[in-house]
Amino acid sequence: MLRTEEFTLNMGPQHPATHGVFRLILHLDGETIVKAEPVLGYLHRGIEKLAESRTYTQVIPYTDRLDYLAAMLNNLGYVQAVEKMIGVEVPERAEYIRVIVSEMSRIASHCIATGAYALDLGGFTGFMYPFREREKLMDMFEMICGSRMTFSYIRVGGVAADLPEEFYPAIKKFLQEFPSCVDEYDGLITGNEIFQARTKGIGILPAEKAVKYSLSGPVLRGSGVKYDLRKARPYGIYDRFDFEVPVGKNGDCFDRYYCRILEMRQSHRIIKQALEQLQELPEGPVMAKVPKVLKPPKGDVYHEIEGAKGILGYYVVSDGTVNPYRVHVRRPSFINLDLIDEMCRGWKIADVVAILGSIDIVLGEVDC
Amino acid sequence: MQMFGSGLIKGLAITWKELFTKKVTVQYPDEIYPLPDRFHGKFKLNKDACISCGMCVRACPNKVITMETETVARKKRLLKYTMDIKYCLFCGLCVEACPKNALGYVKDFELAQYKRDKLTVVLAAEEPLPREEKERLEAEAAQRAAAAKKAAGARGGSAFGNKAEGGE
Ligand code: SF4
Ligand code: SF4
Repeated sequence: MLRTEEFTLNMGPQHPATHGVFRLILHLDGETIVKAEPVLGYLHRGIEKLAESRTYTQVIPYTDRLDYLAAMLNNLGYVQAVEKMIGVEVPERAEYIRVIVSEMSRIASHCIATGAYALDLGGFTGFMYPFREREKLMDMFEMICGSRMTFSYIRVGGVAADLPEEFYPAIKKFLQEFPSCVDEYDGLITGNEIFQARTKGIGILPAEKAVKYSLSGPVLRGSGVKYDLRKARPYGIYDRFDFEVPVGKNGDCFDRYYCRILEMRQSHRIIKQALEQLQELPEGPVMAKVPKVLKPPKGDVYHEIEGAKGILGYYVVSDGTVNPYRVHVRRPSFINLDLIDEMCRGWKIADVVAILGSIDIVLGEVDC
Repeated sequence: MQMFGSGLIKGLAITWKELFTKKVTVQYPDEIYPLPDRFHGKFKLNKDACISCGMCVRACPNKVITMETETVARKKRLLKYTMDIKYCLFCGLCVEACPKNALGYVKDFELAQYKRDKLTVVLAAEEPLPREEKERLEAEAAQRAAAAKKAAGARGGSAFGNKAEGGE
């Protein structure tokens, strides 16, 4: 009899397909995964702890560094949590700007997810196309707030500055072009036979399980659960926009991927409506009157928004001083990783790349 | 049933189109992509506008900015303004906090250095005033204050009188 034994393989921490410094210990039986153990913490910077020695405003730049691919959404979640605490009325104009920039951030994040996914599965061309649109978005972010990735743009009580003049023609051009760009992704990636063969029916995640493990975002919706906080519990002014929540059917890698493509189209719709409504608004302030030094009353608050990767929640505790007593972040990427072991079991090594890519983690957020 | 390979052909058609589109890259060191006005780059400080209030120092989350000042005739004077750029997050909170718009950005992103100590940027460095100069300024200020007090007293009376006249 031939003797066989289990083989252990380290995937990462330096592995391009893990999208950062993430390590997955794979226990293999031949090419088949018996067990996958994720090892986290290579990018841990202690942001939650750092926040305790900063003032409420000074925490904003650190939230950028959680999910650095969709930093506006991180800003928004934190800022809205603090606003809930001190109870400010945000000017209408600022609310619209917030919606526009957050949806732009969502598109940028999904562009990376789509492009990097194509690259993971061996299609370099498919990687370049979504990045082209992300580049345009980053140029626009640079116009708005001066930075390309770590924006620190949203402030407690509004936003740092009104949209600049040169932004309007740029976004209009982008909105006009974007649907045909998504068609191109569809043609290049979604319709590709090799891509489909590698994603359809792979890494199936049943809906009950996804709900049980409190997964969220496109990973949850890919399994057919129609749950999006923007619809389920609208925050800000999301109840004013007309959009749909795309869901998948089978909960396989392809559905999770395709959900993101459809979400980009929906985000495009939201931006379009928000921009139209914003231009009808009269000129006005983009900041509410808030004190320079924020001192929320004693107590705690939890606020969650629909981030690019799932439900992004901030738990902020105040002890009545200028520094938060505790800040905790519910990071969607981290929680979406919960089921990685079960999803990988029984599949081949090459499928692990497809499964991990379809969850779309960003390590800044996983390790915090 | 779709013909096998039609997806690939469709993909090729899309990439083929790209051959005829305009080039968007620039030859970096020779050509620089235009930067927007709000670009977060190198810092600049307008020494004359700065009132040494220290708002920027307090706004910074990472203790990047240090400032040395001296007080002459109850007025703060900036001696040294240093930024430890290696700890900077480029968040813009300092620039936003400045009440006099003294701190700002220039459109320059080439901040990389070969040596670590070069990353500490001195934006303003002034000699402390010599003692005689200080004393002279203090004396002047005291004189001025006294004069102002007198004038204020006199003007206060006449202003009242003027108003009464205007009312007639
Ligand atoms: S940009 Fe931010 S981190 Fe840098 S000096 Fe200003 S406040 Fe400090
Ligand atoms: S906030 Fe402005 S005026 Fe005040 S010390 Fe800083 S640079 Fe000078």
